[in-house]
Amino acid sequence: MTLLALERVSRRDRRGAHERMLLREVSLAVDSGELVAVWGPRHCGRSTLLRVAGGIEPPDAGTVRFAGRALEGSDGALGRGIGYCSRGRPSGEAGGVLDELLMTQLACGVPRTQARARSLTALERVGAALSASRVLRELDGAEAMRVAIARALLLEPALLLVDDPIRGVDVGARDAILALLRSLTNEGIAVLLATDDATGLSGADRALSLSRGELRGLASPRLAPVVQLRRASG
Amino acid sequence: MNSKTVVYESSCVLGLTTLMGAGVAIGSERAASRHATATERGTAALRSPVTWALLGLIVQRPSYGYELVQRFERTYGEALELSSASQIYTALDALERRALIERFALDAVEAAGRQPKPHYRVTAEGMCGYREWLVSQVHDERRRSRLFALQLALLAPQEALAVLDRYEQACLAEASGTPAAGAAGEGSAGVLSRLVLEDERLAIEARLAWIQYVRVQLQALLPSQRNPMQ
Repeated sequence: MTLLALERVSRRDRRGAHERMLLREVSLAVDSGELVAVWGPRHCGRSTLLRVAGGIEPPDAGTVRFAGRALEGSDGALGRGIGYCSRGRPSGEAGGVLDELLMTQLACGVPRTQARARSLTALERVGAALSASRVLRELDGAEAMRVAIARALLLEPALLLVDDPIRGVDVGARDAILALLRSLTNEGIAVLLATDDATGLSGADRALSLSRGELRGLASPRLAPVVQLRRASG
Repeated sequence: MNSKTVVYESSCVLGLTTLMGAGVAIGSERAASRHATATERGTAALRSPVTWALLGLIVQRPSYGYELVQRFERTYGEALELSSASQIYTALDALERRALIERFALDAVEAAGRQPKPHYRVTAEGMCGYREWLVSQVHDERRRSRLFALQLALLAPQEALAVLDRYEQACLAEASGTPAAGAAGEGSAGVLSRLVLEDERLAIEARLAWIQYVRVQLQALLPSQRNPMQ
């Protein structure tokens, strides 16, 4: 089932007098349980693609649909089935890991006891249970990404948008992060990740490239070829 | 850096001479091709990557024919497949004729009760030649890249862009099918796997970056091409 659908989406950057196309008529469909990776160099529009896909930024043209409904004009898309993990560390670096996850839920009205239990479960789910009592700024790249994923999972997303999941992560720990994302797709969560490192494409169901706002590659899941059936003779 | 290179090269003069005689591309390709016209037996075998891959196994440790066939398949797998086991024996002949390897006798205790079979070990010249051959790969890679670029440039820009798109998709598919280097296990086998995986990753990343550059250049050649940044 198509969970996320971008149809001829364009986005411009209008800073000052200069205008630049960040996304140019991008079409992309992502199914439930699919891992789609987009590779592109710096300033190619990777982060913009994820932000538009998550409804954080509106497109200037085209449509973004999530679970069949257009995101345009709807507020709070991230809280309604879409999780977003940006690269680097979560906000509030001076705070504790558990506090970071608690705040996300308390703001949504979840009772403290329940929020604490859910936070610990989420950290355990991403292999970061030991990070619960640590301070955010003390985490290394891999730990910070796990915590960011745990925080996004608290929203019980059907789609996870992940920006640069292995940037700042040691070579030896990169596969574990990618394996974690793959394991989430086994649970039915769709993952759309953007990366400037070819390692980030490893294990993806589909790998696409983004350059100067143009997306190339298989825009929708590859379907099984249609085979004409022939009536058996005799 | 330079002084190291000088020392290294001077210590390999003998090996270089042997290799050049065998038609291996060290130094200018023209010089190598001149030597390649030599009709000495074994010249063709020494140009084969199988021969150098085999020499690497003997550098790793002395061995005999049948064991080398097995180690070859185990070490190189799909990266370098043998058409038949006889390739190994042909390559052994070629290496031995060039004095890059030599036969030796097992000591009496080790050989006791076994059917005698020729064991091979690398010579000093073979060791030197193997190092030189590895370094010479940089020329091969450069030549392959150059050839691809020249062949692509023969196409009209629109056609070349279409091929480039498909080439990029093939690179992306390769990348998604390649495990991350961190997936390799521990120990020397893990290190070896990591070296290979990281080399593949860097190569794919370099190709992807190159594709982006070529695309921009080709797009500029298209008639009435819009500026993609506007």
